[in-house]
Amino acid sequence: MDTLHLLLSGFAEALTLENVLMAAIGALVGTFVGVLPGLGPTSAIAILLPVTAVLEPTQGIIMLAGIYYGAMYGGSTTAILLNIPGELSSVPTCLDGYPLAKQGKGGPALGISAIGSFVAGTMGVIGLAFFAPVLADQALKFGPPEYLALMVLALTLMVSLSGGSFLKAFMMGAFGYALSLIGLGPSTGVPRFDYGSAKLVGGLDMISIIIGLFAITEVLKGIEEKRVTTVIGKPGSVYPSKADLRESAKPMVRGGLVGFFLGLLPGCSAAITSFLAYDLEKKVSKHPERFGHGAMEGVAAPEAANNATSSAGFIPLFSLGIPSSPPLAILLAGLMIYGLTPGPVLFEQNSGFVWAVIASMFIGNAMLLVLNLPMVWLWVKLTRVPYGIMAPIILIFCTIGAYSVRNSMFDVFVAFLFGGLGYLFSKYKWPVVPLVLCFILGPLLEESLIQTTAMSEQGLAIVLQRPISSVILFAAAGLLVISLLLNRRTQKRVREERERGIDVS
Amino acid sequence: MKTAHIWFRVAFSLLIAVATAACGAGKAQQPAASPPATLQSSAAEQSAGQTETAYPTRQVEYIVPYSAGGGVDLVARAAADYLSREWGQPIVVVNKPGGGGTVGAEYALKQAKPDGYTVLAVNVSNTTMLTAGMKRALITSEDQIYTARIGKGTMAFAVKEDAPWNDFHSFSQWAKEHPDQLTWTSVGPAGFSAFAAAQWLDTIKADFSKTRMIVTKGASDSVPKVAGGHAVVAIHTIGEINPMLQAKKVKILAVGGTERSPFLPDVPTAKEQGIDGLNVFWWTGVSFPKGTPEAVIKKWETAVAKMTSDADFVKKLHDLQVEPAYADSARFTADVEKETRYYTDLATKSNIRK
Repeated sequence: MDTLHLLLSGFAEALTLENVLMAAIGALVGTFVGVLPGLGPTSAIAILLPVTAVLEPTQGIIMLAGIYYGAMYGGSTTAILLNIPGELSSVPTCLDGYPLAKQGKGGPALGISAIGSFVAGTMGVIGLAFFAPVLADQALKFGPPEYLALMVLALTLMVSLSGGSFLKAFMMGAFGYALSLIGLGPSTGVPRFDYGSAKLVGGLDMISIIIGLFAITEVLKGIEEKRVTTVIGKPGSVYPSKADLRESAKPMVRGGLVGFFLGLLPGCSAAITSFLAYDLEKKVSKHPERFGHGAMEGVAAPEAANNATSSAGFIPLFSLGIPSSPPLAILLAGLMIYGLTPGPVLFEQNSGFVWAVIASMFIGNAMLLVLNLPMVWLWVKLTRVPYGIMAPIILIFCTIGAYSVRNSMFDVFVAFLFGGLGYLFSKYKWPVVPLVLCFILGPLLEESLIQTTAMSEQGLAIVLQRPISSVILFAAAGLLVISLLLNRRTQKRVREERERGIDVS
Repeated sequence: MKTAHIWFRVAFSLLIAVATAACGAGKAQQPAASPPATLQSSAAEQSAGQTETAYPTRQVEYIVPYSAGGGVDLVARAAADYLSREWGQPIVVVNKPGGGGTVGAEYALKQAKPDGYTVLAVNVSNTTMLTAGMKRALITSEDQIYTARIGKGTMAFAVKEDAPWNDFHSFSQWAKEHPDQLTWTSVGPAGFSAFAAAQWLDTIKADFSKTRMIVTKGASDSVPKVAGGHAVVAIHTIGEINPMLQAKKVKILAVGGTERSPFLPDVPTAKEQGIDGLNVFWWTGVSFPKGTPEAVIKKWETAVAKMTSDADFVKKLHDLQVEPAYADSARFTADVEKETRYYTDLATKSNIRK
C-alpha cells in the first residue's frame, strides 16, 4: 500500500506541467539524436547529458529518462528503415523490420515497435513498483563491506559483458581506473598524478570523457565512412492493421516478461534479452520460416523485451548502483552529477525523487507513443540530412556540453583528446564501456575498500563475515558464470547475423 | 523533387531550432541564478556613498568551488539573488567544483583579474581547515582578502536512533573508555568532522589515535552509515543531519557552541552536559583576490551587512538551517587567523596534518 502511495505521489510530481514538458522534450530530442544513423542511445545520452545538468535533479533525470527512451526508439527507427542498429540490442529488430520496410510495411513495423515499447514499458513500471521497495527496505543495512562486494560484482559483470576479448576489456578497465586516480584521492585528500597543475588536481571530468569516447568518436567514424544515408521507399501509414496487432499482442507480452525478469538481474543487458525474446518467438511460432522475411512478431517481441529490460534495469541501477547496459552506465554518471549516489540509500533519502522518475518513465513512454506515431515521417526525412551538415552540429553540442559541466576549457580539450582516442579504440576493436565504468566505479571501490578496513580490526575479513556482503560476493561468482554463458550465446547470434550482412556498430 | 527540397528545409530548420534551444538551455541557469535586474540602481547609488567609483557596472561572477546544491552553493545563490536586485547588475553563480574546493579558488584568486568582478565563496573547509590539514595547501589566507562572513551552522553529534546512549555525557564517558570501538564518519581526512572529533576527543581526554575514522564523500553518505550501524557517530551541521533526523533514523545527543540552536531548541548543548569548549562551527562568506580595490571590499561589506538583516534573506538561510552571522572584513580576517592557528595546533596534535 505504501508503495502505491509513493507511486501515486510520484505521478503527481511527474505530471506537473514543467515535468511533462521535460519528458516530452527529452523524448523528442532523444528520438531526434537516436534517429541519426549510427548514433545510438549511448551517444545520444552522452551528447545531451550536460544540457540537462543545468536543470533541477528531478527534472534533469526525467529529461534524461525521456532522452533514453526516445533514443532507443530512434534507434529502432533506423534499424527498421535503414537496417542500421544504433546498439546491439536493436539487431533483432533489423532482422524482420528491414524486410518489412522493403515490403512497404515499414510504417506498421514502426507503429508496432512503438506500441510494443509502450506495453513493455508499462509492465516495467508495474514491476518496478513491486520490486524496488523490497530492495529499498534493505537500504540502511548496506554499509561499506556490502558496497565493496557490490562494486566487485558490478565490475566483474561489466567486464565480462562488454563482449569481445576478456583481456582487452580488463585492460581497458584498468586504464579507466588509472585515469580516475588523477586528482584528489577520495579517502586521503592528497592530490595524485597532478604534476603540479591545479587543473589536474581537479581530476578528469567523466562527462567530457564520455562525450569524447562516444559522441566525438562517432562523428569521426561518420566522416571516415563518408556516411551518406539512403532511405528505401515510402514507409506507409504507421498505424498497424488489426491483423498486425492481433499477431503481435502475445509476442509483446512474452517479450516484455522475458525482458523484465532477466533485466532485474544486475548485468543483464537489453542486447541479451532482445535476442532471447526474438529466438523464443521463433521457437513458439507456428511458422518459424517467416522469421527473417518480414514477420511482425519478430519486431514486436524484441522491441518489447528491449524496453522492458531498460525499465527493469533502473532497479539494479537505482537500488544497487549497477548499470546493466552502456546507456545506463551514462545515466549513472548523470545521477552522480546531481550528487545522487545510486544505492539502497537513494530510496531512503530521496524516495520522492526515485518515484517521480519511475512515474515519469511511464509518462515518457506514453509521450513516445503520442509524439512518434504522427511524427515518423519527420524522422524519416531527418535521415536524409547530409552528414556534412550533421557532423559540425553534433560537434557544437559536444563542445558546449563538455564546457558547461565545470565551465572549463580544459574539459573541452579532454573531450576532444578522448574523441581521438575513442576513434582508435573503435578502429582496433577495444571496448570503451569497461573504461568508462571503471572510471566511474573505481573511486567508489577504493573508497569502500578503505572504509571497510577502517571499520574494524579484522580488516577485509568482515566482508565474508557479514551476511549480505558474502551473499553478494557468491552471487557475483555465480552470475559471472551465467552471464558468460549467455554472453557467448549473444555473441554467436551477433556473429551469425553479421555474416548475413547487418552492420553492427 | 520540389517537395523533397521543402522537406529538407523543414528538417534543417528544426535542427537549427533544437541546436539553439539546447544552447539556450545551457544558458538558462544564468537568468535563474540572477533574475533580471529591476530598476533599483537609484537605491544602490544611495547606499554607495559619495566618494565611491561606480561598482558594479557589469556582471559579477560569483565562483562557488563546489557542485550545485550543497550548503555553500545554496547560500551563494540566495546572496547572488539579493545582491543582483540590490545593485541592478547580474551576480552570476558559477560552479567550479573539484579538488576539494581548490580548483575554483585557484581560478577566482589566482587566474581572474583582481578587479572586483570575480568573487569567491569561501567556507570553513576551503580556508582554515585546508591550511591546517595540509602542510602545502595550494590556497592559503595569503591569497585572499576575507571580505564578509554571511552565515554559520552549528555542529551536532548524531548516533543511531536505537543507540544505547541518551545523553552526551555518558556517550563521552564510553568513548573515553573504549576509544578502540569508536568509529566516526568524516568528509575528507581533514574536514569539518575530523576537526570536530579531534576537538571533542581532546576535550574529554580520550585517545584520538585509537579511534577509527571512516572517510566518506559527504554528509549525505556519512549520516546513513551511522543510521545503518556501520559507524558509531557522525558529526555534521544540523542542516546536513536533518533529513535522517526527520526520518527518525538517527538521534542528536548534543550540539556545539554556547547556546542551543534555534533549529533544535530541545537538544542540549555539550556545555550543558558538562563538556565545555566544543566550538567548531561551519561558516561561509566571500573573498576577493589580493589587490582588489578597497572600494569594492567596502561596498560588499555594506551590502552583506544589509543583506543579513533582510527578513526575506534570513528566511532563506533558516530554510537551510543556516544562521546569519555577518562579520566585516577586519573581524572576519581576525576570526579566520585565530581559527587557522587553533586548527593547525589541533591537527598537529591529532596527527591529521599532512
